Formats: sequence, structure tokens, C-alpha cells
Amino acid sequence: MSNGAVVLGDDDLLEPTLQSILDQKTLRWIFVGGKGGVGKTTTSCSLAIQMAKHRKSVLLISTDPAHNLSDAFSQKFGKDARLVNGFDNLSAMEIDPNGSIQDLLAAGGDGAEEAMGGMGGMGNMMQDLAFSIPGVDEAMSFAEVLKQVKSLSYEVIIFDTAPTGHTLRFLQFPTVMEKALAKISQLSSQFGPMLNGILGARGGLPGGGSLDDVLEKMESLRETIAEVNGQFKDADMTTFVCVCIPEFLSLYETERMIQELSSYEIDTHAIVVNQLLFPKKDNPCEQCNARRKMQKKYLDQIEELYDEFNVVKMPLLVEEVRGKERLEKFSEMLVQPFVPPE
Amino acid sequence: MPSLLLIVFVLQLALHLLNNVGSSSVNQLLWVLYNKLPTPTAAGAKKQTIAKREVIRLKREMAGISAQDDFARWAKVRRQHDKAVADFEKIDASLRTAQNTFSTTLTTVRWVSTTGLRYILQFWYTKRALFWIPRGWVPGYVEWILAFPRAPRGSVSINVWDVACASCVAMVNEAVLAVWALATKDKAAEKGAHKQEGMAIPA
Repeated sequence: MSNGAVVLGDDDLLEPTLQSILDQKTLRWIFVGGKGGVGKTTTSCSLAIQMAKHRKSVLLISTDPAHNLSDAFSQKFGKDARLVNGFDNLSAMEIDPNGSIQDLLAAGGDGAEEAMGGMGGMGNMMQDLAFSIPGVDEAMSFAEVLKQVKSLSYEVIIFDTAPTGHTLRFLQFPTVMEKALAKISQLSSQFGPMLNGILGARGGLPGGGSLDDVLEKMESLRETIAEVNGQFKDADMTTFVCVCIPEFLSLYETERMIQELSSYEIDTHAIVVNQLLFPKKDNPCEQCNARRKMQKKYLDQIEELYDEFNVVKMPLLVEEVRGKERLEKFSEMLVQPFVPPE
Repeated sequence: MPSLLLIVFVLQLALHLLNNVGSSSVNQLLWVLYNKLPTPTAAGAKKQTIAKREVIRLKREMAGISAQDDFARWAKVRRQHDKAVADFEKIDASLRTAQNTFSTTLTTVRWVSTTGLRYILQFWYTKRALFWIPRGWVPGYVEWILAFPRAPRGSVSINVWDVACASCVAMVNEAVLAVWALATKDKAAEKGAHKQEGMAIPA
């Protein structure tokens, strides 16, 4: 502990704000993640508000099935990007990793039904099989997002991610998918002529498409994913903001997440510590003081362990951070360090 | 050249021992010994041992630190630990291929020098009489069986001798095991009885 205090005294600590992210003009993707209930949504909304002041256009995407963006801005968001009330360059959208498959199937409509019918009883089985592959639902929603995002031209895209486990899978899977698709295209180039011979006899795939079309589509999907994968691994274009609270489990998860991110080669250099208590010196509240002591302990640990990170300290407010004005006020503290009252 | 009778017997004994001691443990032992020699994999094996020790040391160190009270130190040790584990796995994977080749070779050599040799001997000496039995000891059809398949009538063929040796070794093995089990069980039973007595007294 005392060692930590000595290290703290040195002036090689990075500044405790997210200014560096705001200044990094090349950034295109920002992920905000952490354990559930630590204030990811509040942080990502605040970051988006600050970003909107520095960039031409910002898109905030929530991949959390719990969908808190609508809550935070007191405005309904859907699957399509929509401007946030009171801003002209900040849009938001919510995607549901689980809903997108059903949507996809529904969008396929009659064609898909027919195709499945053409395959007889096998159709349903294949469908079940395909969607039981772990991560495929996220893959779908991811592809969906990428398609939308590529057609829209936002300068920065901020992801408000689902709690830890989900996030990491979400990030990992460009890699996974790229591998799988590479394998498929390799196989299809080997067996394609044979398959075409069989299918050609009865005139293409059920549903009317030809095998080449499907393969072409797959190839283009693979290219998109490869491109995004490259961008995610580029520290100039992508960064991950870890959100935590000064408690053991949150800290533990954060450490694990940071290690995993580094194993995926995704850059992360900012930690937001939320819900800090700053009771006044003569405060009679026993619980507050005890909690403050505990928080102080973990805060010291954070500063000792993550000396190469921008550690931003955010206070616990007495009101819920909801609505544009409060979020704006809160977001100020990401840039101007909060000074606790004496 | 020692007698063929003896060779066949020793071969059967060796086969039996190899089957029962367990070829995989023998392979393991030979692999360790092989790496003690200045062989191409020796350096890798040494590295593997060092890496393993490092992992264990870090595990102990991690267990000694309270994650709650000293998170920063704990997390730093854990990072080292994770790195050490990754290193170890990498070395282990690269060695595993070599080890597999090694044990495949060993298995082949072992097969050729025991079972293979047995077949060769049986084939080569199939017409030879290992020893003769006095005329009239056994009825004619038994003589035919003993000479099976191609040894001269009235003698014992190598195949039959082979089978006889194998069953003899198996029976002796079983007998030894049974005696051993009896002896140890007796002791165990005695101990158990003592214990029961001991229990009975305070009650």
C-alpha cells in the first residue's frame, strides 16, 4: 500500500481524463465495456456527447440486450440510427444480438420459406443446426451493423457493449468468422465444380439462386470482416474504454478484460472509475466513510497497476444521470477532473 | 547359440512382462532417459522442466497473496503466471510431436523384437523338432497335436512349445499374484482385527 502511495507521488502518471481519446482524430471505433451495473451506458453516452463536440458526426450503438440508451436519453431508439434530441451530429441505435436472426429469417420471407421447403425436412434441421453454432447470433448482428455502418459515414462509432463476456466474444469474432469463411471459400473452390455439376442438372439452388452467387456473397462478407478486423487491431483507429467501480469483483473483471483485449491485440489505454464517494471531512455517515476507505484502497491498487492508463475518476452523484442536461454535465467530468469538495 | 527352447521361453517372458508392466509407462521412462542424453530434444525438455517449475512457483506465489488486500501485486503475479503458462504450453506442444514420434518408433521396435521375432522363429523352425518324446507315452492323435503344424511326428514343434511357455508364464504370474494377495490380505485382515479389538476395548 505505502509503495503505491510513493508511486502515486511521481509525476509520470498520465492525466486523469479522456482528453487523449478526444484528441486522437484518427479514431473510428470506440468500445465501452465493463461488468454489469458499473455505469457503462452513462459513460458511453457522456463520451459520445463529448465526442460530438469535437467531431463532425458520431454514432452511438448499444449491443446490450438490456438497451439502456433509450433510458439514458429518455428517447426511444431502434434498429436504425436516429438523431438524439438536441444534437445535430449525434445519432444512436440499439441492436439486439438475439433478435436479428428472427429478423433475418423474417426478411427472407417467402423466398427463404420456399428454399427450406425445397430441401424437404432437411431445411428445418439445417436451420437449427446453423443457428446453434456458438456466436452465430452475434455474428449476424455484427454483420448487420457493419453493413449499416459502412453505408453511413460517421466519423466515430461508439459501442456501448453488453457486460464483459458478451463483449469479448463480440470482439473476437471477426477473427473467428474470418477463419471459418476462409475455410469455406477454400472448400468451395475445391468442390464447387462438382457441386455445380450436381446442382446444374436441376437448375441451381432451391430458391432460385446459383451457387456462385452464394459464394460471391460469402466472399464479400469475408472481405468486409477482414477489413474491420484489421481496423480493430489498429491502435490508431480503435480503442477500448474500460469502465469499473472500485470494488474487488469489478477490478478483477477489468484486469481479466484488459489481458484478453491485449491477447486480441486491441488497444486500451483508458479506465473510467465510476461511483466514487467523496464524503466531506466532518461527515457523520459511518457507512459512507467506511465505503470511502474501501474505495480508496482499490483506487490505490488501480493506480499502481495501471500506471500506463488514463484513469478517470467519476463521483457518485446524488441524482440519476438521465436526460440530456444531466448527461452533459456529467460528461464534463470526463474532460475536467472532478475536484472533490473539502 | 543358446538353445531354441530357452530363446522361445525368454521371448514369451519378455512379451508377458511388457504387456503387464504397461508399454506407455515404459515409453515415458525411456523418453525421460532419452532426454538425459545429449539428444536434439534434450534442450527442449530442459526448457519444459524449467517452465513447469516457473509456473508452479508463480502459482504458489499467487496463492500467497491476498487478491483483495493487495490486488495490484496479485494481478502482476497473475500476468506473469499467465505468460508462463502460455510459454509452457508452447514448449509442451512443440515437444509433444517429438515425443509421439519417439513412442511410435519405440512401439515398432518393440513389436519387431518380440512378436515379430516370435513369428519369424515360428516360421523358420516350423519343420524342426525341438525335442523328442519317448514313443508310446502319448496316443497317436496327441502326438499329431504336439507336432503341429509341420514338425516330424513324435516330436514337439516350436508352435506348441511357444504356447506351453506362454501359458506357463501366465500361470506362474497368476500364482505369484495370488500368493502376494493372500499374504498382504492376511496382514490387512490382522490389522483390521486389531483395530476392531482396539475399538472394542474402550466401548
